[in-house]
Amino acid sequence: MISYILRRLITAVLILLGASFIVYIMTAASGDPLWDLYGHPNAAQLIPDRIDSLNLDQPPILRYFTWLGGALGCLVPFSDMCSLGVTRDGLEVTQLLLFAMGQTIMLVTAGTILAIVIGITLGIVSALRQYSGLDYGVTFFTFLCFSLPSFWLAVLLKEIVAISFNDFLQDPVMSVGTILAIGVVAGFIWYLVSFGRMKTRILMGVLGFLVTSGIVYFVLATNWLTAPFLGIPLILLTGVLVAVIATILISGLRNKRALYSGLATVLVGLIVYFPVQSFFRGAGLWTVIILCLVMIVIGAAIGYFAGGYDRGQGMRVAGITGFFVALLIILDRFMQSWPDYLDSGRIRGRPIATASASTPGLTGDFWIIGIDRFTHLLLPTIALTLLALASYSRYSRASMLEIMGQDYIRTARAKGLSERTVVMRHAFRNALIPLATLVAYDIGALIGGAIITESVFAFTGMGQLFVTAVRNVDPNPVMGVFLITGIVAMVFNLIADLVYSVLDPRVRVKA
Amino acid sequence: MGKYTFKGKAAVSVAAIAALALTGCANVGGGGGGEETGGGDNGGGQEGGVLTIAETNAFTGANPAYTKANLDINGKVATGTREGFIYVNPSQEIQRNEGFGTFEKTSDDPLTVEYTLNDPQWSDGNKIDKADVMLWWATSSGYYDDGDAEAKTGKDYFTIAGSTDILGHTDIPEFSEDGKSFTLTYDEPQADWEIALDQDYLHPAHVVAEEAGMTEDELLTVLEDSPEGDPESPKENADLAKIGKAWDTAFNFTATPENDKLLLSNGPYKIQDIVENSSLTMVKNDQYNGEHEGKLDEITVRFIGDSTAQIQALRNGEVDIMAPVSVNKDTIDQVKEIDSVNVLQGQDLSYDHVDLNFGTETFKDKNVREAFLKTIPRQQIVDQLIKPVTDDASVLNSQMYVSSQGEPYEKATETNEAETLYGEVDIDGAKQLLGGKTPTVRILYNNENPARVDSFQLIKESAEKAGFKVEDLGDPSWSEKLPDGDYEASLFGWVSPGVGTEVLSQIFKTGGGGNYNDYSNADVDKLVDEARSNLDNDSRVDQMVEIDKHTFEDAYGLPLFQNPGFFGVSEDIEGVEYQPNQDGAFWNLWEWSRK
Amino acid sequence: MSQQEPINVKEPVDPAVARAEDVQGKSQGQLVRQRFFGNTGAVISLIVLIFIVLLSVTSIGVGPLPGWWKWDPDATGTLVDSGRPTLSLLPPALGNHPFGQDNLGRDLFAMTMQGTQYSLIVMVVVGVMAGLLGTVIGGLSGYFRGWTEAILMRLTDVIIIIPLVILAALLGRLAISYVRSTGLPTTATVIALGLLIGAASWPPLARLVRGEFLSLREREFVDAARLAGASSGRIIFKHILPNTVGVITVNITLLMSSAILLETALSYLGLGIQAPDWSLGRLISENQTAFATRPWLFWWPGVFIVTIALTINFIGDGLRDAFDPRQRKFNPKKARDGREHRTERGADNRTAR
Repeated sequence: MISYILRRLITAVLILLGASFIVYIMTAASGDPLWDLYGHPNAAQLIPDRIDSLNLDQPPILRYFTWLGGALGCLVPFSDMCSLGVTRDGLEVTQLLLFAMGQTIMLVTAGTILAIVIGITLGIVSALRQYSGLDYGVTFFTFLCFSLPSFWLAVLLKEIVAISFNDFLQDPVMSVGTILAIGVVAGFIWYLVSFGRMKTRILMGVLGFLVTSGIVYFVLATNWLTAPFLGIPLILLTGVLVAVIATILISGLRNKRALYSGLATVLVGLIVYFPVQSFFRGAGLWTVIILCLVMIVIGAAIGYFAGGYDRGQGMRVAGITGFFVALLIILDRFMQSWPDYLDSGRIRGRPIATASASTPGLTGDFWIIGIDRFTHLLLPTIALTLLALASYSRYSRASMLEIMGQDYIRTARAKGLSERTVVMRHAFRNALIPLATLVAYDIGALIGGAIITESVFAFTGMGQLFVTAVRNVDPNPVMGVFLITGIVAMVFNLIADLVYSVLDPRVRVKA
Repeated sequence: MGKYTFKGKAAVSVAAIAALALTGCANVGGGGGGEETGGGDNGGGQEGGVLTIAETNAFTGANPAYTKANLDINGKVATGTREGFIYVNPSQEIQRNEGFGTFEKTSDDPLTVEYTLNDPQWSDGNKIDKADVMLWWATSSGYYDDGDAEAKTGKDYFTIAGSTDILGHTDIPEFSEDGKSFTLTYDEPQADWEIALDQDYLHPAHVVAEEAGMTEDELLTVLEDSPEGDPESPKENADLAKIGKAWDTAFNFTATPENDKLLLSNGPYKIQDIVENSSLTMVKNDQYNGEHEGKLDEITVRFIGDSTAQIQALRNGEVDIMAPVSVNKDTIDQVKEIDSVNVLQGQDLSYDHVDLNFGTETFKDKNVREAFLKTIPRQQIVDQLIKPVTDDASVLNSQMYVSSQGEPYEKATETNEAETLYGEVDIDGAKQLLGGKTPTVRILYNNENPARVDSFQLIKESAEKAGFKVEDLGDPSWSEKLPDGDYEASLFGWVSPGVGTEVLSQIFKTGGGGNYNDYSNADVDKLVDEARSNLDNDSRVDQMVEIDKHTFEDAYGLPLFQNPGFFGVSEDIEGVEYQPNQDGAFWNLWEWSRK
Repeated sequence: MSQQEPINVKEPVDPAVARAEDVQGKSQGQLVRQRFFGNTGAVISLIVLIFIVLLSVTSIGVGPLPGWWKWDPDATGTLVDSGRPTLSLLPPALGNHPFGQDNLGRDLFAMTMQGTQYSLIVMVVVGVMAGLLGTVIGGLSGYFRGWTEAILMRLTDVIIIIPLVILAALLGRLAISYVRSTGLPTTATVIALGLLIGAASWPPLARLVRGEFLSLREREFVDAARLAGASSGRIIFKHILPNTVGVITVNITLLMSSAILLETALSYLGLGIQAPDWSLGRLISENQTAFATRPWLFWWPGVFIVTIALTINFIGDGLRDAFDPRQRKFNPKKARDGREHRTERGADNRTAR
């Protein structure tokens, strides 16, 4: 194993070297690095200066080796030899890269996680209901998202989700007719994507209509958009829902002990709700993490003491419920700060932002800053999620379909296991194996691949750095970006292969 | 490898444009609004509040005079953090800033100017004194430089983005006893003496000294004692080199620097916080004792590169002021459609024009030149490209002046008869002049500029009606190909210098550095020389009008239109005025206030 | 002799017999065709795509051939009603400028058709280029193994770690500036861009094809052919390649749909097709500022891009189902092999986001 990894690493370094040479030469050959200076008022000073600082009087091959020398210096720890060169404006690439990476990671993390979770869920569900309205609906929707040019989508999102929503927020009133119309549309969608007999589908449609109109009415009547809240009732309701779903997925409702320990955890959460509020006043990230951990432990403990024939299941159900209840309590606290955020002099009642990562100059406690992050990351995250949805959902659908046709699934069914056990225990886990590699590849690609999203939402991440550099015929920043994406891609490819061999015992790495 | 080496030919022409456009830039230096409009007399405006303005480029340094930090955004920020003896108002008139100091010409021959400081100070309370002025003068005069670019000997100590043409003619400033006033003596008359000291070059000497590892007094001694540089016999000066390095590099930062002294300001605002590539926040300078005290508490500059994103941010109330990079019907209509936003429109200082290359076979023949110019649909170009943006747009009819310059422009258009000669497209006339010939015209232009692409399209269609064969030489690196002369016609923009005569010898004189189209007319050459040595304003205008007339008679080419510009300003904001120069809205940021 | 009467049997067919008919007596091609045309989504998509191709080709014509549409994409004209589209559904009418006009009065329908043509050219060229390169490189290294494989696969590795947008942006810039400087017609620029995007996007396909070759060359029928004295060329072209057609076709289809989006992304970054030529990507990126004021300039070309990409995705999906024998749930061994290849497909997800 070790020697396999070593061999892979050595090849990786060689590959990286080769690719870096290609990229450098291509960038250098792609144009004239002085193009913007011809005709500049101060060209007489600027041109020789740039030639001097970027060594433009040397041929690109020589410059590549200068760059390589600096980059190799980065391998020597704690030395000052590390240098990825300077941009044409004389800025250190290493410094720019650090910042840009932070921005990119912030931008893509939530979107990637959401895309994976939602995509896989959609894929699995549509596979389980192959050729149903839901399957067709999901297929069409994900293909549509996949076919959207990303900046086209981004411009639309800004227009609809940000500007129109903020406009609406100025005067959040809807006529009964509008509410009913929204309900009808939602009901119709429910009808289309539901499956089963006609009667069930119509019932679902009606249910969709009622639930949607009810929610819209509730939100408007309680002024929820400008002063949102969860409070005890909603936390209870959602918590119970989470407990039930977790039980269904993990142990089946027949395991009453698991269900009860989940519900008990919800109760504990509600009791904790009040004392925790005072802790939240001076809170930071750690308070939040600790609360989550504490609730998970409490849940697991309840599950453990509830005992039963399968303690593990109860612990998992209650632990997961505890985690979600903690999230709900935290969400509730964020919601308490929402009105303050809206009224702040820099927001002026228009919360959803269209550009950059935060409101400049906004000060406030953890909660306000957190909300600010949320409002700024909302649009790019939606965009990235929608764009990436298709690959995950299609992939997991195919993988699930294939596995559901395997002999061992038939065997499992034949020995009388419940459909839940067959799907969750036997099929789902195996379907995830090939997905692990897809995720690993994707993360590698995404670090350098969110270029357009970055530029539309004015995030100055790696993509932005790269595009500016390509336009400027400025090889050093291009190389910096390439180096990061290249290394990430190689590392994740290696991880993908290793993970695959761990997850799927049939595959062995050649040691 | 040839591509990467420096081309000698390009160097010459580039230097020429540099000098030429410099006149335009120096003229458009600083801030504005001289007549004490700064007071609280705009009624609704109140003290305090915050404002956010969108900018295309990201901040890279607090010394915009340094070559690599010579970006529009750095200069804009400097309008808040630096002030000097003068600034320029939206009509491109020089205004004196007496809160900083006064100056007057005490003699014509030799030209002598006496400056008096009015007790200005840095935001740490340190007074602006002899050392600061010496450093200021040293950087913009190049006095100590002994570098020789050809021979690669010697050294230019301060890497400045401008030219030393004006102050290069002065001797070391002489200071009064108290150090509050100083005198500059020129060795030959300089028409642009009023704009000689540019506040972008002014930096706190005590901070530069500290960065160079010496005290302020030591720095002053170095500057006073060092001899004038002589490129013929360069001498090393280690102390000067240290100061130069500090001046060049200390002020380059893209995020808030650890040493907050680098953020010192002598203007109404000071930089408080910079978030790399994202935003910059300026707060009121509490040590400011000049005349332009700011009204707002904070000004935040947000860097949003994409025009659409800027407009959407303005619509969404995330920014209060924006000025788009691309001014076209869509950007302006979009901004106009926002209820809560006012649009400030104006005319840019730049204008587009078509030049015919006299050095080519095709255009050696005056008839062919005239025929081609007759086909250029200038009215149509204005109607379709500029009118949608500004209703009152009209065809530009002078090579010398832009219409916003008023009187001289009218005089020029009356004399040159551009309207009668080329007022309307005359396909039949062109056909007659061509007499059945079908010459090929290759047009060089920047195809990354949508307006130029559209202009080209219209010219092409019209010219082809008369029998010309028009070929498309659209190229993003058009400026590089401009001096090569491998084209029949070129379509590009000049930034109008407004004042100054250097432009004449550059563009219209035989062999001039910016005379890319090989224009040559003995009468014009003579007129150019006369105008350049003429110190009387009125008769110089007459001479320039005369040159203008010659260019139209010779079918030199045609000016097309002056570019429009606009700012979108939230209606909650008061005090913003349209300013066409590179400082944009920032020129009077101290007058901005929130209703 | 007399015409044969078609036998009109309307009796219910025994399902078992029908299934047997499904498999027996039909070539692979017939089977695939039959399955493909049974897929409603794919068939509708194919019809829509063919319609778009025909529309774009016939309306404004190709090269010297004129089309039936009255306006030329470059022809400027007078603005009518500030360029609003004249298309109306009630009553149905095209009007003079169904999609509207831009600020120079050019007809947006003609421009969109021009853009569609160029975008389709880019797409097809990318498909052909990447398909050829990927198949040849993947096939050679999978079949010959040894040094050939080592060298070719390391080359693939080198290319594959350069993010596709980065590679395409750099290559595109090179290609366009070079071709334009030679003064060749627009189509040459477009083809060059397609060739280079194709040259950047072959590696995932090559890996896949290699995988297929690796498993197929060990199969009994290949051994049999080898023993019978068949040459390498014959084995490759007659025995192995036909068995990989499915994988290759499906992946080329998907490549083409990402190519059209990639071209759009490049245009947005200002690194794609340049003025005065129009691709669909350039149309929407140039007109994005018009989104709020003259939405038709933004919507029409966008709708075409989305439709083309969407139809191709559906066609690709249909093809995958049609070629995929696992649809029939047999031969678990083959299914397992197949899965390993599919995993490798993970890397072709390199779309610009």
